Amino acid sequence: MLWSVALLPLLLAPLVYVYGRRRERAGLTLCAALVVLASLALAGVAVIGDWGANPDAYRWSDSLALTLTLFTAGAVFALTVPLIALPIVVYTGYHDLQLGDDRLHATSGDARLLALLVAFVGAMQLLVLANDLLTLLIAWELVGACSWALIAQRWGENGIAHDAARAFVITRFGDLGLYIAAAATFAGSGGFGYADLATLDGGYLHVAVAGIVLAAAAKSAQMPFSAWLFAAMSGPVSVSALLHAATMVAAGIYLLVRLQPILAGVAWFMPTAIVIGLATALAGGVVGIAQSHAKKLLAASTSAQYGLMWLAVGAGFPGVALLHFVAHAFMKAGLFLSAGLAERQAGSYRLDTMRLGRRLPGVAVITVIFSLALAGMIPLGAAWSKEQIASAANHQATWLALLAALAGGLSALYATRFQLLAYGRPRRDARLPRSGAPAPPGAAIWALRALAGVTLLLSLVWWPEVHETAVALLNVDRPPSHPWLLCVSLALVLLGIVWGIGMTRHGWLAMPRAWQPFAAAWFGLPTLTQGIAMGVIAVAERLAHFDDDVVDAGLRGTAAFGKWLARRNAEGGEFLAEGLPGSLSRLADWGGQWARRAQSGQTHHYYTGIAAGFAIVLIMLVIGVVL
Amino acid sequence: MILTVALAVPLLGALALAGSKRWSAMRARWFATGAAALSLLALIVAWFGFDPSGPLFQHVDEVRWVPSLGVAYRVGVDGIALAVATMSALLFVAAIAYPLDARSEPRQDHVQYYAWLLFLQAMSLGVFLALDLLLFYVFFDLTLVGMYFLIGRWGHGEPQVSALKFFLYTFAGSLALLLAIIGLYLSLDPHSFDMRVLIERQPLAGSGLYAGLVFLALMLGLAIKTPLVPLHTWLPQAHVDAPGPASAILAGVLLKMGTYGMIRLPFAMMQDAFARYALAIAIIALVAIVYGALVALGQRNLKRRIAYTSINHMGYTVLGIAVAAAAFSDTDVARRLALTGATVEMVAHGLITGALFLICGSFWQRTGEYDLDRYGGLARQAPLLTGFTVLAAFASLGMPGLAGFVAEFQIFAGTFAVYPWLAVIGVVGILITAALFLDLLRRLFFGSRPLHLVDFPDLNRAEWGVLAVLTLGIVVIGIAPRFLLTLIEASSAVLVGGR
Repeated sequence: MLWSVALLPLLLAPLVYVYGRRRERAGLTLCAALVVLASLALAGVAVIGDWGANPDAYRWSDSLALTLTLFTAGAVFALTVPLIALPIVVYTGYHDLQLGDDRLHATSGDARLLALLVAFVGAMQLLVLANDLLTLLIAWELVGACSWALIAQRWGENGIAHDAARAFVITRFGDLGLYIAAAATFAGSGGFGYADLATLDGGYLHVAVAGIVLAAAAKSAQMPFSAWLFAAMSGPVSVSALLHAATMVAAGIYLLVRLQPILAGVAWFMPTAIVIGLATALAGGVVGIAQSHAKKLLAASTSAQYGLMWLAVGAGFPGVALLHFVAHAFMKAGLFLSAGLAERQAGSYRLDTMRLGRRLPGVAVITVIFSLALAGMIPLGAAWSKEQIASAANHQATWLALLAALAGGLSALYATRFQLLAYGRPRRDARLPRSGAPAPPGAAIWALRALAGVTLLLSLVWWPEVHETAVALLNVDRPPSHPWLLCVSLALVLLGIVWGIGMTRHGWLAMPRAWQPFAAAWFGLPTLTQGIAMGVIAVAERLAHFDDDVVDAGLRGTAAFGKWLARRNAEGGEFLAEGLPGSLSRLADWGGQWARRAQSGQTHHYYTGIAAGFAIVLIMLVIGVVL
Repeated sequence: MILTVALAVPLLGALALAGSKRWSAMRARWFATGAAALSLLALIVAWFGFDPSGPLFQHVDEVRWVPSLGVAYRVGVDGIALAVATMSALLFVAAIAYPLDARSEPRQDHVQYYAWLLFLQAMSLGVFLALDLLLFYVFFDLTLVGMYFLIGRWGHGEPQVSALKFFLYTFAGSLALLLAIIGLYLSLDPHSFDMRVLIERQPLAGSGLYAGLVFLALMLGLAIKTPLVPLHTWLPQAHVDAPGPASAILAGVLLKMGTYGMIRLPFAMMQDAFARYALAIAIIALVAIVYGALVALGQRNLKRRIAYTSINHMGYTVLGIAVAAAAFSDTDVARRLALTGATVEMVAHGLITGALFLICGSFWQRTGEYDLDRYGGLARQAPLLTGFTVLAAFASLGMPGLAGFVAEFQIFAGTFAVYPWLAVIGVVGILITAALFLDLLRRLFFGSRPLHLVDFPDLNRAEWGVLAVLTLGIVVIGIAPRFLLTLIEASSAVLVGGR
């Protein structure tokens, strides 16, 4: 039963492709949206009907079984993912399709884009419902493959396929961790289930946890893997929205939330998660402040926000991370979709070409909601979950809480920057950006409104009855809150907003010019990974030459030696082979002639011979006696 | 009886083709495809008749031949042999049905081409079905003859040189194998070539130097065929100059004889000796995995790149076999998993790399060019070719849902339980493979299209039909491998657990 939630989108995706080619735009979009809706409905029925009570197993063999179950975190994700995907699919249908020459019918590329988005949802559903490491690994890699295909959507443009490959290879490096974790679990317990993972101890547990942390860090773009998110920017904007909000990047934090009780069994796990999360949150914040490419700014903020969630998991409150994930998902999807609309007007993602407040007033107002949520401004839901993260950090140490609040301040700063640069009022002296771009399609605006509506609705979580119900329903462990921490956080958020306004409007305290490009490019991380890749390729090319010149030389040498031997044989050996029997026969010939000469018929010759014979016999006798 | 049918049909077909001079190439192709498919059908029937809980070898046929020497015509299969043989028969059907030359007029000597392919099919199946060591050796060597003529007569580039290099190198390996087979034969009293007796009696268990020499000779002969680094240099050259379908057979079927031979001979007959050398062989396999992947990444030639990935994948197979052979009594389940994985890898690699080499053939026929830098941007013009290549490439890099993953996952999991470090290093291979295949796809299909490819045609019906069948096999094994795993585990449980 539970399988249908994941398999429905996966199996119907090819049909969307086949059906959608050369359909009209509406037909294709409706088709894809219906599949996502069906997945959402199935997930809802599964949660209400408690389908996870008796896990379904699909056996490959005696040792390999694929099992699904419905766990709290899985249920939240299984509902959130299609809920986010639905407006994104509609938006894609009306914003990102290329359409054929008649401007009416979808091309096969368009159908592929929507079909892949649907498949992406299915793979993610499989990931969050998995109850063992084998199923998880399958879904994990499928998500990676989907994102490769989606990033490479516009494969004809130079560099796109390169970026897609880079994103895939970096995240697959993390996947290796999951391979190792699964193998360690099997080695330690004889099975692949999460339950088996929980029974591990000793070295195997350390290896398994290390593998899982590696996989999760790579997927959720934590340091030092953050660079792949920049490469992923080559995809259409709707792909980025889904990737950042609900699928690829979210997979990492899902895994930590789901397995936190087991992971925490290793002493180094919590400090590691805290360090990784906090470092990414702070560094990502600085990158966001320095970036002037709209999508890359949002990408850096994604890394930073997931860093905060890592911090929550590391502090021992995975439920808090889960809540922040939900709040983040809706606003980040909205921000990306909004950035896409801005790009269509401005012609590029460069923030300094935008300032579209006058051109798109409606979109600007909706985006304010998302930006405020990203900034962590009361009374939006994201502010509440961010507060909970700070409290969770405070549960470990006060300075951690202060750093978390500082990361919140940074997010307020870059959120303000994004809002004002993308949708602020144009400078008086600036030329108006080129006009002529069509007004944003209504369906895209509606998708934004839906996401904004949910973001606003999440504000209810400040209401004690609401959040207590939610906490009880999700069985979340909540850290004790402190009014002073709330005040500090709020002050930092306000400071961030004011600073952001000052920075964009009046050029206050902008980052030093020499630093800005360095910080904007993730402190050289992409260059570093690129360098490693180039190094490996250089080694590979050397090895290829080595293989041709040296390894094969052994073979060529053997062949040459064989030829030489044959030639020697032809010359020397043949001489010997010819010469030996030849000289023997010559010797016999000579002996014969000599013997014939001895038969001279003259008696004195014979007597001499007899005497010589006697002499030899005597000498032999003497030698025999003496010795 | 059914296995003899599978052997005899292609052989008779080859004779019929060789005897008929006046057939058109088209008719010869259909006739040969039919004969190959009949053989495949016989193996499928054998599969349905195979009882996983029955004895190790089933469908056994035995006919006395030279009783004084202990030689007989003995054929029979266990699950491993049946899986590999069926895959081979399927690949032969595909290679025969695939057009040798998609564009130009068919040559007159195509009738003989199909005759040689059928002959090669009979000999290859013979290797997997034989239960007599001498018969195994005869088939093993006769496959060289078939492949020699296929490369030499229908190849391109420098086919004669490549064919000669291929023949001499692998024939040298065969000689080592022959010595070892004689060594095994002499160790049995009364002397016999019967594999079942050798497996049951383990005649060389514990006998020091003699056993070691026989084992090393066996492994040397089989490692050249597999091939393991550094005995692999015949492979890329033979592939580059061979026609596409022959390349598919070379990679998909002939390489398997090395690893299948490892399971059938040293693994089954000399468990003691193999256990002693297991770690060394696992390390060599690991070198092949990493080295093969890196060298493949360094290639600029489409066919050479795929040829080197074969070395990487066969490395996984050997790793699985070596792990299964290691003597750790408490890791039975893991070692069984490794052996099952190694066998699935053989089947998966046969289908995947077979498909990739057929695709290479299509590229060559269209442009006469393997240099990756000369391609680009073909995705719009040749969507079918792009689709099948992307699928085969992802299967080859181990994407879940496709056959390669089922194999490699089991090998890694099994290896980790026995040699954790080797598994950790070996897993890096799939990262390099991912990089090299994505790079390959990018260079062939994405980016801008060079001018000389303006009229590059997409796959024709015969081509995509064949590729669709292979792809179906890859997907089915990837999603629902139970039918295959049950068959293989029937034997791997006996072979690993039966000590």
